[in-house]
Amino acid sequence: MKSFLTMFIALSAINTDLYAAEAGMPQLDPTYWASQGFWLILIFTILYISISKFYLPKIKDNLDNRENKIKEDLENANKFKEQSETKLKEYEIILENAKKEVSKIHFESKNILDKEIQSKKDIIEKEIEKELVKAQKDIIELKKNSISSIQKISENIVANIIENISGEKLNESSIRAAVEDISKKNIGKYL
Amino acid sequence: MASNPMQQFTVHKIGPEIKIAGIDLSFTNASLFMIISASVILLFLFLGSKEKNIIPNKIQLIAEMFYTFVAKMISDTAGSKAKPYFPFIFSLFMFVLFCNMVGMLPYSFTVTSHIIVTLIMALFIFIAVTIIGFLKHGFKYLSIFVPSGVPAVLLPLITVIEIISYLSRPVSLSVRLFANMMAGHTMLKVFGGFVVSLGVLGGWLPLSFSVALTGLEILVAFLQAYVFAILTCIYLNDALNLHH
Repeated sequence: MKSFLTMFIALSAINTDLYAAEAGMPQLDPTYWASQGFWLILIFTILYISISKFYLPKIKDNLDNRENKIKEDLENANKFKEQSETKLKEYEIILENAKKEVSKIHFESKNILDKEIQSKKDIIEKEIEKELVKAQKDIIELKKNSISSIQKISENIVANIIENISGEKLNESSIRAAVEDISKKNIGKYL
Repeated sequence: MASNPMQQFTVHKIGPEIKIAGIDLSFTNASLFMIISASVILLFLFLGSKEKNIIPNKIQLIAEMFYTFVAKMISDTAGSKAKPYFPFIFSLFMFVLFCNMVGMLPYSFTVTSHIIVTLIMALFIFIAVTIIGFLKHGFKYLSIFVPSGVPAVLLPLITVIEIISYLSRPVSLSVRLFANMMAGHTMLKVFGGFVVSLGVLGGWLPLSFSVALTGLEILVAFLQAYVFAILTCIYLNDALNLHH
């Protein structure tokens, strides 16, 4: 379509003498056909030989080299990946073992400590109990002593009070009996 | 001022006349531009394969792209049997492509816009493919004209059509390339002439057309080289692998 259009434009331009008229298509002029054929065959043969003998093998070598290099690199990468994976597994196993050991040690030391603490606690508790018993005894003794001394003091006070009020000396034994009687009645309040 | 748009296709002698056995083989501008294209290809391939980097530089990358492009084209269309013909297809593709591209430069000459050049290439391919076909398959190669699965009534007709289509291969192959190149360059020239004749006031429209057409022509230059090479591959495939 395009070529027809062009031909039409070209031919109409020539026919209407718009341009300096020459032969229609120089391509159809056979003067230089032999020359063109000769040079085409010569030049194309040289081009073909130099391309097929020198340049294509070079380019092919280059491409093959690259492909091999890429393949090799990929293989290496895979190998390294596998290696790293096995290393990772080893590492994980080591880590796991270490964790187990740590928990074992932790457990054992905890047990030992617990036992020690328990035994010390027991000893201390016994001691505390002993002390408590002793202290209670002391307290009871003190109370008894204090009651008898309080009775004596009360007897004296009572004797003095009676002597001062009535001017008479009462029998000591009767006073003691009265005080004992009162204190026996009221001792429940203080003990 | 404005010259004939076909004038760009004239061939003229450069230097002395060379005559061998009465045939004029003078060096012409066509020969010059063939040499220029071939030199550009060789220079490009030289620079592209000079350094053997694992990570390619730019020109090496482009050269390798051309290599893989053509290699893939051949293996896709003609299979692994066509491997020995790879250098030829590669040279052919590069030669047509660079002739087309060099022809896109202003004041240059487009070698592939001449029917004689494309016809010689196409005839060479046609004859070579036919010889390869007969060498590989002997007379069984003639079965290419008899497609399988055709009703017996239609067979004579189909065979005639197949023979005609086979014989017209060199013509279609050469005329396609030649006509495309000539048409494109003529159009560019015509629109360029319009720019000049319409002057500063009216020349902008054809100028923009010219710019757009230049882009299109570069695409066509690549496409036609590709088509030329891939059709060669397809013909080669027919000769190497008999499908019928």
